[in-house]
Amino acid sequence: MPAVSICTEAFRIPAQAMAKAYGFPGFQYVEVPHPVASLSAEGLRQRVEEVLPRVLDILGVQE
Amino acid sequence: MNEAQRAIEHCYAQGWTDGLPVVPCDADQLEAMLARVDRNPDEVLLGMPQLGRSVTVRLAAINAVMAGCLPDYFPLLVAAWDSLREEGYARKGIWQSTTGTASLLLVNGPVRHELGINARGNLFGQGFRANATIGRAVRLTAMNALGLRPHELDQATQGTPAKYTACFGENEEESPWPPLHVDCGLAPEDSAVTAMTMRSTVHVEARHTAVPEQLLTDVAGTLARTGALLHQTVSACVVLCPEHAQLLAGAGWSKRDVSVFLYEQSYLPRETLDRAGKGAVSRISLWRVARDHPDAVVDAGPDPARDGIHAMTSPEAVQVVVAGASNSGVSAVVETFGPRGGRPAVTRIPSAAAGTTTEQENRT
Repeated sequence: MPAVSICTEAFRIPAQAMAKAYGFPGFQYVEVPHPVASLSAEGLRQRVEEVLPRVLDILGVQE
Repeated sequence: MNEAQRAIEHCYAQGWTDGLPVVPCDADQLEAMLARVDRNPDEVLLGMPQLGRSVTVRLAAINAVMAGCLPDYFPLLVAAWDSLREEGYARKGIWQSTTGTASLLLVNGPVRHELGINARGNLFGQGFRANATIGRAVRLTAMNALGLRPHELDQATQGTPAKYTACFGENEEESPWPPLHVDCGLAPEDSAVTAMTMRSTVHVEARHTAVPEQLLTDVAGTLARTGALLHQTVSACVVLCPEHAQLLAGAGWSKRDVSVFLYEQSYLPRETLDRAGKGAVSRISLWRVARDHPDAVVDAGPDPARDGIHAMTSPEAVQVVVAGASNSGVSAVVETFGPRGGRPAVTRIPSAAAGTTTEQENRT
């Protein structure tokens, strides 16, 4: 099943290191502003809306 | 620079250190380490499939040399890796977590004297080669064999000083109770190491009382602090100084009595939890959240007459050990991840081959 990894900007370096450890140094994933854990439901919804075009882009979805 | 300095600087340049200088390892030193154990050098001690990396006996030995361990320490260190594997948190990825845990190694039995492992004054502090280098070897191995370096795959937000080393002995000689390894079925003359995943070490200053209930209420207040409540409940290794342990035992308390009392006194009223925004539990993550969180479930306590919870799931969530100097009433709560009822990962250390480099014993 196609999937897209999402992490906050604070995890950029670990994300790249994990991708490299798995042998995919150029692996594409989506970054969102940090933090997420303490957001309200509305704040979280806004993040999702902001990031959705990038998720669809990585999945190769044509508008 | 001389040859030794050049070799040390080379290790720095390769990124092989924890910030302190390491001992450069050559083939002879590696061989001397491996000769102390009856294990295949290629045997995997701890695998991390999520990284595609693993710790072998050979990699553990190289990093033990680099940490400053003597070959005599290696049987204990290999048993420590066996214990870490059994304990489980490390291989499931806790060393990569933002919480920033360390691996505490608790040592029991005659090996403490054979290797000079400090179990008395300055327990968590500096000054003892075996304590300093055995714990350090675990961290160097995590960095060099598993690639768990800070700012990369080690994502600790703050970490803990215990990440440099966390290894100490139980002060069995001044404890009024049987030591941990005997509680877990080994003989007093056996040696053992027990790995625990730890967060903070919190001092409990209690020089003021000879009343067991007052002393343990003080300890329980430290155990049940809301800041420790990431998950629904906490667990801990309570390291009682000999003075506190003898006070309790002298009043007729067993280790089990201590655990049961600490569990009962770890009660937190809902109001206290709510003030910290931790009055409920997420039904998805099982982490504590505020009551108005969309996933919140208010976790009922055991007593229908009172609205609140015990900060621990059971008395078994507290491991009681005795260590430190007999000079004051200072104990510690070592906050751990687990065990929450399971047997601690007490691992027997095979009798060492005839040692020639044993350090001065730690008896005086």
